[in-house]
Amino acid sequence: MAGKYEPKVVGFCCHYCAYSAADLAGSMRLEYAPNVRIVKVMCTGRVDTLHLLKAFEDGADAVFVAG
Amino acid sequence: MIVAERKPFAEIKEKIKDYKKLLVLGCGTCVSVCQAGGEKEVELLATELRMVNKMDDREVEIGELTIQRQCDREYIEPIIEKAKEYDAVLSMACGAGVQFVAEILEEIPIIPAVNTRFIGVTADEGLWLEKCRACGNCLLADYGGICPMTMCAKSLVNGPCGGYKDGKCETSRERDCAWVKIYERLSKQGKLDRMREGFSLKDYSVQSHPARQVNEAYTKPELAAAKEK
Repeated sequence: MAGKYEPKVVGFCCHYCAYSAADLAGSMRLEYAPNVRIVKVMCTGRVDTLHLLKAFEDGADAVFVAG
Repeated sequence: MIVAERKPFAEIKEKIKDYKKLLVLGCGTCVSVCQAGGEKEVELLATELRMVNKMDDREVEIGELTIQRQCDREYIEPIIEKAKEYDAVLSMACGAGVQFVAEILEEIPIIPAVNTRFIGVTADEGLWLEKCRACGNCLLADYGGICPMTMCAKSLVNGPCGGYKDGKCETSRERDCAWVKIYERLSKQGKLDRMREGFSLKDYSVQSHPARQVNEAYTKPELAAAKEK
């Protein structure tokens, strides 16, 4: 396999905290790894087992919930 | 409602291992409420199956479908053609639903994905308790609305045994004595004299299986004619 392993990471982020933090990081020109894909949710209470399973099913190597 | 629980994943996986095209069929009534086999559980199980098949390098097509009731012909008939596109149906309904779908689809194997537990109530979030044994001869009016057939470990219908202690059953200290509960309930209702009267005999003859229920007002004329002959 060419190149080193780059895990695909999906993050479910709360609109009011974790997502805002990521947004602020962007405003401050701070970088985070491009293999992290963020999905904004209005509240992490909205995140369901199904969301996590579907992310894995569609090829994510890791999933995190931040809120 | 009928309460069920999903079978262990390993058991489901073993039963479906020979099929290449599988339809996961949910039921939108009782098993949906008790979170065992509704639309969401269908999605969860189908996702789990797809992932495990991918990990095992197996090519299996998994379809998902949930109908309102698997115990009602009118909800099954619209999906017959769809179901015939599959090698097997993994039904998440109770035992009644599984059998009725099997009877209607006939040539297609039906595999149950849940274990049917009991007729019960939602006591709390994620907690269901058995309340009725479907004995066919309800005497709850005599027992203050507490069923000794279900709640008593020995299904005694004419008073407690000698084994209870501090309101608990001799089979388990966790279990309330049904008859202590009945006494307390009748006491609250001011109907304790009901216990002194003795209880009517219970008709166990109505418990023959498989049971059958007919509402003649709705019976089709041809069936009524056949009955008269």
